[in-house]
Amino acid sequence: MVDVPVLEVGKQALCPRCNYMLSANRYYAQERIFAFSLSALLFLLLANAFPFLGFSAQGQERTVTLLQSVAILITENFPSLAVLVFAFIIFIPGLFLIGIIYVSSGLTLGRLLPGMKRILRWSFMLVPWCMGEIFLIGILVSFIKIVAIADIAIGLSFWAYILFSVCMVEVVLHLDRREFWHHIRNLSNRRMSP
Amino acid sequence: MYKNTAQLARTHKLQGCKVCTTVAAIEETSCDLCGAKLEGHRDKSPQYFFIKSPQRFSKDSPQRFSKDSLQQTWAWLITSILLYLPANFSPIMRTRFFGQVTDNTILGGVVTLWEHASYPIAIIVFVASVLVPMVKIVVLGWLCLSVQRGSTFALLEKAELYRVTEFIGRWSMIDVFVVSILVALIQLGNVMSILPGIAALAFSAMVVTSMLAAIAFDPRLLWEGANKVQLERSRSNDE
Repeated sequence: MVDVPVLEVGKQALCPRCNYMLSANRYYAQERIFAFSLSALLFLLLANAFPFLGFSAQGQERTVTLLQSVAILITENFPSLAVLVFAFIIFIPGLFLIGIIYVSSGLTLGRLLPGMKRILRWSFMLVPWCMGEIFLIGILVSFIKIVAIADIAIGLSFWAYILFSVCMVEVVLHLDRREFWHHIRNLSNRRMSP
Repeated sequence: MYKNTAQLARTHKLQGCKVCTTVAAIEETSCDLCGAKLEGHRDKSPQYFFIKSPQRFSKDSPQRFSKDSLQQTWAWLITSILLYLPANFSPIMRTRFFGQVTDNTILGGVVTLWEHASYPIAIIVFVASVLVPMVKIVVLGWLCLSVQRGSTFALLEKAELYRVTEFIGRWSMIDVFVVSILVALIQLGNVMSILPGIAALAFSAMVVTSMLAAIAFDPRLLWEGANKVQLERSRSNDE
């Protein structure tokens, strides 16, 4: 049990026992989380709007969007795999971003929005299941595997997905459980004692 | 050795919320601030299938607080061990090249990459899909066992090991994503096409279950052996 003091900006709290960072109040963390999660959500939407990747070999060409590349797993008789991949690269990151944007806008307004606590709780649970950056590395590995046999075309959505991943990493890096709940505690205390 | 300055919440009849880190009285069943379930009120003596000597735990061991943590970790861990075999030995994808179908396993893919002298990629794939899951399973099993034995050996290192395991677990999904991208792109009918294999499913299930095992494990349990020593020492000082 450690009494973590209210942290000044740029300071961290370490566990006295195992030296692990318990909490950090990073520069403009709230503002950055709000801004980057908004742009990440935007890029995620854009990543679904345009062609994702193209492929040509033996005189044949093929272009897929992000959703098509997941849907093909269903037609190849692996619907459960399709659901997992769809969840990890699009659905869960999207849910997480919507949740964080909701909570952040509540904090920016200085008001407790309905269901804010529950949404924050769930959003933190979703963090390990957002696998955008892993998906990107996976794509690079598969490029290396097929570059010898085919030409690859990179679509607009692919760039959008890269930007989405960068923004996402920035959001997750600034996320701090203690800071978030500290702000929420302040808000609910203020409401109880007007 | 760790600095022995920790104050145990339960000696003050308190408990911490794992979700929002609020401190609450030990009798509370749900957190005032965030509404998450609290387990401090649960008074169950540690009775585990795997534990040989429950007397290693002090009477007020927080074992009872995270009663389900070890059981859940073991359950997910055993599931992922069972899935590890089909994930590595059945085909992860089938390649059709001018009508000829070949099955590829993960290890087979690594060997092919190695034979084609793509050493860095072969090493990346081997580490991410063969080594990491195996090491993760071994580490989590070791951590569970050492909690059960009330070990006080290398606690700082074990805590660090747990954090690393929790962090790298997700990266094993790389191979599944590679397969799904290859399947999506290479669809030229009989000329050349790639189909997913059953191992892709087993492999992703293994990654998911081992991630759930890591999440279920409560790293605070690692310090139980040390807590017991500390509690006994303070008790003998009182007398």
